[in-house]
Amino acid sequence: MSLLEVKSIFKSFGGLQALRDINFSIHQGERVGIIGPNGAGKTTLFNVLSGFYAPDSGSVLLDGHDIRGKKPYQVVNLGLTRTWQLVKPFLGMTVMEAMIVPSFCHRARAIGTSSSRQKEEIVEILTKIGLGNKLWEEVDNLNQSELRLLDISRTMITHPKILLLDEPFSGLSRKETGNISQMILELNRRGLTLVIIEHRLKELMKLIQKVMVMHFGEKIAEGTPTEMVNDPKVIQAYLGERKSELGLA
Amino acid sequence: MGATAKIFSFPLSRQSPVGLLVLLALGIFPLVSGNILYVEILILAVLYAIFAMSWDILTGYTHEVNFGFAFFIGGAGYLSGVLNSLFFFPPLMAIPLAALTAGMIGLLIGYLTLRLKGPYFAMVTLAFAGILYKLAFILYKITGGEEGISGLKSLTAGPVTDFYLIWTVTVGVYFLLIFYSRSKHGIILKAIRADEDVAQSSGINTAYYKIEAFAISGFLAGIGGGLYAHAQMHIGPTMLSGTISVLVVLLAMIGGMGTIVGPLLGAIFLSALNEILRAVEAYRIVIYTGLLIVFIYLAPEGFVNLPFVKRNPRAKRFLLGKEEYHEPSGSEKHF
Amino acid sequence: MDILIIGMVRGALYSLIAVGFVLVFSVGGILNLAHGTFYMLGAYFTFIFYSLVFNSPGGVLLLSSVLLAAASVSALACLVYYLLLKRKIDSHIYTMVMTLALALFVSEVMSLLFGVSGTSVPSLVEGHLSISGIKIINQQLIILPIAALILPGLWMFLKKTRTGQSIDAVSQQRTGALLMGINVERATLITSGLSAGLAALAGALIAPVSSVVPEMWLFPLIKAFAIAILGGMGSLTGSIIASFVLGYAEILTSFLIDEQLTEMISLVVIVFVLIFKPSGIMGYKQG
Repeated sequence: MSLLEVKSIFKSFGGLQALRDINFSIHQGERVGIIGPNGAGKTTLFNVLSGFYAPDSGSVLLDGHDIRGKKPYQVVNLGLTRTWQLVKPFLGMTVMEAMIVPSFCHRARAIGTSSSRQKEEIVEILTKIGLGNKLWEEVDNLNQSELRLLDISRTMITHPKILLLDEPFSGLSRKETGNISQMILELNRRGLTLVIIEHRLKELMKLIQKVMVMHFGEKIAEGTPTEMVNDPKVIQAYLGERKSELGLA
Repeated sequence: MGATAKIFSFPLSRQSPVGLLVLLALGIFPLVSGNILYVEILILAVLYAIFAMSWDILTGYTHEVNFGFAFFIGGAGYLSGVLNSLFFFPPLMAIPLAALTAGMIGLLIGYLTLRLKGPYFAMVTLAFAGILYKLAFILYKITGGEEGISGLKSLTAGPVTDFYLIWTVTVGVYFLLIFYSRSKHGIILKAIRADEDVAQSSGINTAYYKIEAFAISGFLAGIGGGLYAHAQMHIGPTMLSGTISVLVVLLAMIGGMGTIVGPLLGAIFLSALNEILRAVEAYRIVIYTGLLIVFIYLAPEGFVNLPFVKRNPRAKRFLLGKEEYHEPSGSEKHF
Repeated sequence: MDILIIGMVRGALYSLIAVGFVLVFSVGGILNLAHGTFYMLGAYFTFIFYSLVFNSPGGVLLLSSVLLAAASVSALACLVYYLLLKRKIDSHIYTMVMTLALALFVSEVMSLLFGVSGTSVPSLVEGHLSISGIKIINQQLIILPIAALILPGLWMFLKKTRTGQSIDAVSQQRTGALLMGINVERATLITSGLSAGLAALAGALIAPVSSVVPEMWLFPLIKAFAIAILGGMGSLTGSIIASFVLGYAEILTSFLIDEQLTEMISLVVIVFVLIFKPSGIMGYKQG
């Protein structure tokens, strides 16, 4: 049975059909990418999967649980966490404080680590991701890429089964992208399933096994990165994009 | 295990020196000064401190402005008064009962207003207080209308003992709220204040914590309101009026929202200011309200939250104390 | 029949007050809790100009007093915006608390200057009309044609003039207007002045027939808010309609049920609409 089963999701806002008949399944341990031009509905899909939007119709099964209609925090506690495309940080708090917040969720509590061990874990994660010297810094003082790193670190505290990353590489340097890629690959090796929306296709294609392409709210193609790069529909959707940018050698 | 130990141990070093000093000074004052008049002024000052601090735990920590705090203050005051005058409950029973009721209603209102933000939340709280205010007149047979209810049983034998009772409650409320605000509950509220969506996507049931804060805020305000009614031995519509609501907001804001210490200082010092201005009684209220405007202009987030304080670690330490996740405590292993 | 006319008068009065309030909210994004104060000052300033400055009787002088009152309150509002509010207009808390503190302050000043029992202002138009045997005070009646002139005038200002259009644009979408190069600050300034002027005019017109007391700022504010949320926080026509709805509701309650309950209506409206139907109003203005 797949970890995430999405069937016939429809979502519209007023007159605009944002998602139309989305179907796919993701298996435990997979690394899936979602690509598509702007406005394709990728983030909307994430919002539906994470509980921020309720779909008009269709179902989302996470590990067999129907999460349609569940509140975002409930979805997190069932094992699905997401990051934010436009980073929304906890202004007015320090980095440590911000990281403590997710440790209060049921899922993290259920694991039963002591609070001092939890603090250690937080320091470990932050150091690995490159924020080790910013532990006591106020979030307000971090720059864009640091905020993004913090967002990703935050998700790890919730011990997700499946992590939805919304444009994680946006605004980051090559080195930073490399850091994050390494980190999430390692988490994947330890069992974390990944779904990544990205525009930086070169970096993305190195990470993922499977790609889903969206356009105008529909899934227009699904397959391996090589297949996608050669798919005429995909090329059509990305009209104007040079072939090399689609990740071909 | 670690968490329980922290609740019962008393991290003195982490407390705000200023907060402790002020509370201590208040406690010593009646012993030093023989003036009963001053004691009565202090009674009002500490009562307002209770109001301001309980207001702060909701608004300061979620940034949803409660403009109808008179609802809980006056509401519990009247309830306690009615329990006392009509049903002969002694004050020490009536007040907690009234406060508990206020807390439960706070739970309800917190739930009903969950989806409201900013100005809408503010106005609905104002409206609730306004409705209660009008009801006090409409139901004049129970509430005594314009005159309110008089002849309530006093708290203790005299003003000095009254003061110490209320002072003890104030100290209790202060520490309760400080611990609450530094606990998981406070941190979550701050996260909600910063960004509720991100808090949700960190697995936090934000609705629960917002409602809880509302209830606690209402409960503690109710304690203050009940104490007020019996300290004055009278409860009238002024305690349900917009003036009280606005005054509490101003005291807390000028002191410094979201700190608990700020509202304490705001209440005490502004009450003192009010008394000092009695020298020019005719213009007192005008000067006082005028000064409040000046203070808000100079320190939009309150004096304890001034940028100067934020940038100056010693000032910050002196006013706010040391919070757990703001500085290394020396126990973290470094990698 | 008298209910029909009295209700209409009340609705017209309320619309003068509410329209400005809604405009400031949609343009400035702020809830100006001093709005009721502008209404109050319209009344007090009329008295000041007429009895203290001009100090002689005469319809023309009275009319001038009214107009001067409205103009000076307008200017005052602009000053308040410029000096006190502009610096932190993005903070809901700051603007609400500051305007409320101002309202309190002005109320106390008026109390000091003119006493708790208030003052009285003579009517612009004396006497009363008899319509099918019911007496209706003329002063109240003139509100109707005045409102009938001003409100469409306002609409034309917003839709046809350059300044008006820029204000309109800001009220629809603040960030969009900014990007289009519209001077949002100027628009907010003008709107503040305009809105306060209207409220002051309403206050000046109704002053002769109601009590001019230092507390008269609170309930018009509450009613303005009730009307705003009934009519939709961004919609001018909505608020005009809602003004009449509230006006009639109050009159009917007063006549048919109990006069004491009239003030409750606006409060209950606020609570009920916000709690049971926040989506209808909420989604409108995204600050």
